[in-house]
Amino acid sequence: MIPRVPMSADQDKIISVHELKFVYDGSVRALAGINLDVRRGDYLAIVGGNGSGKTTLAKNMNGLLRPTSGSVAVNGVSTSEQTVAELAKVIGYAFQNPDHQLFCSSVAEEVRFGPLNLGYPEAEVAKKTELSIEAMGLSSVKDLPPFSLTLGERRRVSIASVMAMDPQVFILDEPTTGLDARETDDLMDSIDRLNIDGHTVVLITHDMKLVAKHAKRVVVMSEGRIVLDSDPGGVFADLELLLRSKLVPPPVAQLAHRLSSLGVPREVLSPEELVFHLMSGRGARK
Amino acid sequence: MTGFIDLYTEAGTFLHRTDPRVKIVAVATLSLLALIMSNLVNLLVLAAVMVVLILFGRASFKKTMLAFSYVFRVMALIVVLWPLFNPGGTPVLFDLWPIKITEPGILAGIATAVRIFCLAAAWYLLMFTTSQRDLVRGLVKMGLRFDFGLSLAMSLRFLPTFSAIVESIKEAQRARGLELDKGNFRKRAKDYVAVLVPTVITALKMADTLSLALQSRAYGARADRTYVRELKMRAGDYVALFIAVAVFAIPATVKYIFSVPL
Amino acid sequence: MASVSMESQTPQNPMGATPAKFVSPRTVALYAVLTALTTAVTMTLAIPLPTRGYFNIGDAMVFFSAFTFGWRAGMICGGIGSAAADLLLGFGFFAPITLVAKGSEGLVAGLLGPAYRGTTRMKILGIWAGGSCMVTTYFVGEWILFGFGNAALELPLNVGQVLFGGLIGLALSQAISRYRNQRPKTT
Repeated sequence: MIPRVPMSADQDKIISVHELKFVYDGSVRALAGINLDVRRGDYLAIVGGNGSGKTTLAKNMNGLLRPTSGSVAVNGVSTSEQTVAELAKVIGYAFQNPDHQLFCSSVAEEVRFGPLNLGYPEAEVAKKTELSIEAMGLSSVKDLPPFSLTLGERRRVSIASVMAMDPQVFILDEPTTGLDARETDDLMDSIDRLNIDGHTVVLITHDMKLVAKHAKRVVVMSEGRIVLDSDPGGVFADLELLLRSKLVPPPVAQLAHRLSSLGVPREVLSPEELVFHLMSGRGARK
Repeated sequence: MTGFIDLYTEAGTFLHRTDPRVKIVAVATLSLLALIMSNLVNLLVLAAVMVVLILFGRASFKKTMLAFSYVFRVMALIVVLWPLFNPGGTPVLFDLWPIKITEPGILAGIATAVRIFCLAAAWYLLMFTTSQRDLVRGLVKMGLRFDFGLSLAMSLRFLPTFSAIVESIKEAQRARGLELDKGNFRKRAKDYVAVLVPTVITALKMADTLSLALQSRAYGARADRTYVRELKMRAGDYVALFIAVAVFAIPATVKYIFSVPL
Repeated sequence: MASVSMESQTPQNPMGATPAKFVSPRTVALYAVLTALTTAVTMTLAIPLPTRGYFNIGDAMVFFSAFTFGWRAGMICGGIGSAAADLLLGFGFFAPITLVAKGSEGLVAGLLGPAYRGTTRMKILGIWAGGSCMVTTYFVGEWILFGFGNAALELPLNVGQVLFGGLIGLALSQAISRYRNQRPKTT
């Protein structure tokens, strides 16, 4: 498990969202005033039920959507002054469905597509491609067509193709949907490594187990608003809020709640922690 | 550019209640009528009738404006261009080589523009007041094979889905630095391939699933399949059909048998 | 699969009823999807123009359907899909002309393109011949409806659109045939 780092205000902001409102087609209100600072090195999970505005918020961060009102700034520059392609150099966005991004006849070609679009010189493109393929564990399949791979591998290709653009921030939209437990663990390990290497990771998900295990900071969204912004422990301490936001806390957090009368703290994140609290005698009160 | 996935507006007017087959026939007869008329006054009368019918159909204002926005542009273009390319007849209003403009040229241009309006209005009358489901039902009753009708109905049903997929894929590739509609001919074509390959592959996978779904619901099991909702012509529909045919047949007789210019 | 079977593969019905002589469910599904795709691509990837209204890459889908699934698919899906886009975008009176223009484009491209094992040269011939059908149909149709002036203005735009769509359709059909030879392990 990654050690939880206390948040400090002086870490510089890489994305800052101010009073962001967003309305689709002039009538469907998706975001109703969002304030959020993503700091360099954050491992942030944006959670919320379907239709809570997670993806809309993320698309506002990389310029695919422009604020109806309010502002989004990346490295201090407003997104409305930058093209999506310019923003792609800073913010890599892997879509929920990898099949929406893959079209080349080999994995290597696919990974090359992004940096070529951004106009990097050839030698650099080759280097970035090589590195990303290796980091995502795709070296053995790099000459195969992406569509011949399994879903887990295709996800890796789509993340590698974002990584090759060398962004500072990775936005990953539901990266584990449809993967089995083993594939999920492998993929999340690679994502953890991105964060350890100094990248900022924004994980969009409604899988609270992932959040408990990997994220360092959680933003809960409901009906276009941020209803909570804290470390994972703080989120799981408020069961009511999670349920109202159409989220199910992981079993271990639910168990900790049931055991709170025994003195177990409510913000338990892992079975190990729970065992620790029960064994340490704090929960031994009869 | 975005259009509407469905032009139909729900309402209970007599146009909505009329059998779709009658409306399909009416589109044909009204279009033919507009094509055989060339007198400006006659065409304006027809156009006025069309406007009244469209108002009766209670289509949403936004949809009506979208449907006719291009029509109006083409009409304006015809009014300007027609006299330039057809400088026949007298009186000549303007003559400075190579440009010559005559009064009959201008009148014919306006008449053509009004004819375009009538042709468009006939189609939109059908589209505004007939649901896609009824439209397909009508076509099947008029002799379209059931399996092709089913295919057509399914494609209309999937249109919004595919429009959303195309948009989503466009976004996904833009996030990878793709800039559509920038650069030379070759580069642009290549960029569109980056959008279309994922689109087509997603669609073909959907076709596989769809075909299994059809089989699991006993598609084609019996030739004598029954329908839940049968279209039935009522008395009012026969009256409407009679009017729709007469509206073309009478002027056509007058024009071609009695040689009266219309 | 170069051509789609047009006959139903439904087994004999145990109830004794005659199975319907329908096209196979694969064909129904495929044609529905190709038609919707043609309409969606024509509508969403369109560039508005001052005179004509819109420059679109719908031709790419017509050529793709014709080259990959044969002339029937090209004609039916190309014709109906494109005509539907006209109706929904506000070009209603164009729909009958489009039906003939794009239908014949798909038909001709689908007859020529896959011939002689569908070499690139045959496909280019298909684009040329099919494209000519489309351009000619629009020219004649517009001449009758709008007069010579408008039709002449449109001609170069239609030629450009066919060349652009043909190039994309060709690349697309080659990319997809690679994909179809290499089926994915999982969906």
